[in-house]
Amino acid sequence: MSWRYGEWRAAHALPIGVLTRAGEGSEVRAGDIIAHGTTYGTPQRVAAARRLGIAAADLPRVMRVSSGAEVERGTIIARTGRRFARAVSAPIDGRIAHVRADGDLEIAPVVDRWTVRSTLDGRVTRSDEGTIVVEGAAWGLQAVAAYGPDATGDLALAVDGAGDELQPTRVDVRLRGRIIVGGARGAAEAITRAHACGVGAVVAGAVPAGGLRVVFGEDVSARGRSTRADAPTVLCLLGFGAAPLPAAIFGPLAAFAGARAAVHTASARLFVFAAPDAVRAETALPSLALAPDWGSVRVLEGPAVLSAETRFASEITGPAVATPDGAVPAANVRSLAATPIAD
Amino acid sequence: MSTATGLVATVDVAREASDHRIGPRADGSDLQVAAGRPLRLALLGGRSDATLVGGRAAALAACADVVLTIRGDARSTLVERAAALRDARPTTVLLTADGQDGSALVDLAEALRLGCASDRPAVLVAGHENARRPVLAALAGLPVEAMPDAATSAGRDAIVARLRAMRRDGGSLVLRDESVDAAARAVASATGRAAVIADVSGTTSSLAYASASGAVTAVHAHLGVGASADRVVAGGGLDRVRRWMPRAVDGPALLERVFNRARWPDAVAATPQTLALEMALARECLRRLLAEAERAEVAFGAARSAPLIVCTGQLARFPRAAQTVLVAVDALAPETVQVIAWERPDALIAAGAIASRTPADVMSALTPLALVASLAPRRVMTVRVSDASGAVEQRVGRGAFLLVPTRGAVELTVQGIASATTSEALALGVVIDARGRPLELPPRDAERLPAVGRWAAAVDALPPEAER
Repeated sequence: MSWRYGEWRAAHALPIGVLTRAGEGSEVRAGDIIAHGTTYGTPQRVAAARRLGIAAADLPRVMRVSSGAEVERGTIIARTGRRFARAVSAPIDGRIAHVRADGDLEIAPVVDRWTVRSTLDGRVTRSDEGTIVVEGAAWGLQAVAAYGPDATGDLALAVDGAGDELQPTRVDVRLRGRIIVGGARGAAEAITRAHACGVGAVVAGAVPAGGLRVVFGEDVSARGRSTRADAPTVLCLLGFGAAPLPAAIFGPLAAFAGARAAVHTASARLFVFAAPDAVRAETALPSLALAPDWGSVRVLEGPAVLSAETRFASEITGPAVATPDGAVPAANVRSLAATPIAD
Repeated sequence: MSTATGLVATVDVAREASDHRIGPRADGSDLQVAAGRPLRLALLGGRSDATLVGGRAAALAACADVVLTIRGDARSTLVERAAALRDARPTTVLLTADGQDGSALVDLAEALRLGCASDRPAVLVAGHENARRPVLAALAGLPVEAMPDAATSAGRDAIVARLRAMRRDGGSLVLRDESVDAAARAVASATGRAAVIADVSGTTSSLAYASASGAVTAVHAHLGVGASADRVVAGGGLDRVRRWMPRAVDGPALLERVFNRARWPDAVAATPQTLALEMALARECLRRLLAEAERAEVAFGAARSAPLIVCTGQLARFPRAAQTVLVAVDALAPETVQVIAWERPDALIAAGAIASRTPADVMSALTPLALVASLAPRRVMTVRVSDASGAVEQRVGRGAFLLVPTRGAVELTVQGIASATTSEALALGVVIDARGRPLELPPRDAERLPAVGRWAAAVDALPPEAER
């Protein structure tokens, strides 16, 4: 969960209807379009092999346009014979969305267009109809969960301190296209206002879970949700509710203000594109503790000292960590260096 | 160098982020019990919902996560289905072919090829050979495996075995759900009577019913009180969890706690409130499993009258035995007179793992907690409890819920039931539950909170702070 400069890998899922995509080995920058395509409407099924009187396996040989190509109404798609020719033409403007195993074609109208942008500076290491993977070097911060579409933009601080809540009044259209950093908490009001103002993403120590439900729907979970829909992008760095950011995280965030950055929601990571020596990553990392009621996450300053076996108020007995506020179950304390659990 | 183990295997039982070792070896383990790789399963079926029933039952028995279900009806287009499949990112697809929906199934197979050709999920095509043939051509390029008909019991078993194999990482790994199944079978075999294992861990929940003959019916799902706690809330609704809390708590605050717990592996409930939340989640895990079993037409009715219910996992690690009993009774709503037992921490799960390979002693892992008599009295009736201290007669009316502490061997006689029920010594005593079935909770906080608090107080199930 702490800052690290190194090689990262970001997989970008592609929707159906890819027109062009970056090839393997190509160099890309965060924010570059790495694929674009079309959204299909209701497809029409066209008998092709049957109409031409050929086997389905022979259809590609006689097709005059390839699968995936855009066609206009009346375009000859496939043709056989010379004197007694048989042909299949497009019944509508659209694209050949799919060639069925029985030799029929699915031709779908184009109702929208989409693009997918890279979230890393680097090289494309995998590119197929479903996924484009980019690998490259950056400063990276692993978060607990991320919601919404990927985002890129310059990093901007929207709070004065690591323990502050992101106030809606601090968000306006001057932050359009930026990735803004809140402090301990980014509430739903601030998130929706940021989205309305065109802010790229909101990064905060924690986001109220109830607020996430308001913004992303009732079925939202703690493990994030990557979407392509027009929705806010939210990165929860430490947890839910409230979580003041430790200096080891907030310090570099403040230092990176103005730098190019990206949020990759599928992996819940913030990437910042700055020189390897732009900040000094802390080596002595603090510990985090889950609040006794599990409603928030807090930072334990100083080393975590294991105390004797303790009987807690719930009557559960177990190893504890001594803190100024009393004994905390050792299991509820973890180093900032610990990676969040995989799903 | 390995330590001699004698005849006892050492088993590592995985929790959320740690292992609990059971056995004599210090240098390693012979078996590991873990949840295995998560398996994202898409179910594709014919035009009627009935074609999906076998697939749902197989998914439940194999602890697979059903991420998408598509029927072969005409309500969605090929492109919409393909997009749904692309977005769902299934690692495995189970297509049930029944022979009557040939063209509909071919359409689904085409959508699968359009949506997932690049990700190449494993495709299991279940059904009779004649039904499978037209579908296979449409799946060209995808890794396809033919499976028997999911509508038959043997077919489902084969599909479950294949799905489990996909979740397993190595030969020494026993899936937690496999271990629960084996433990249920072993307990039924050892006692000669039907038994139910109710297992709730941080990541998974299981219900396994073994008949006296050893036949096992089981359902498992990624629902839990820890890392999967958010799934319980997302799938069932927050209010379904909140209704079991003995103190008023607002929804957003409760959701925060659930989400933080889901991202904090092996967190400990240090306060009575968080313990009450764990208990509420455990109840809903089991209730959701029962609801899913009903939806998949898995016959679980007999489980409600099995003579023995064994609680394992987190369910058996609550600090008070009464908490385990209360959760089990609330969630499973037993219907006769039954013994509720718990395991020593992870001991039965470990014994089940051994029992999946070789005969194992499972009974030494159990401690009987309570004899639960579920009654539906029309008028006040008399219950007589005899133990080493003597006999106690209790008059029980509709809605009563009470605990009669006992010492030594117990005999329970219920007015109107000819034979008495006996039990060995119980850690807790006899619980009389006359709240009725199905167990209904008052919808309004003002009535529900006192009721839930009263039930908890009746069996002394919560520390004082949570009961206030």
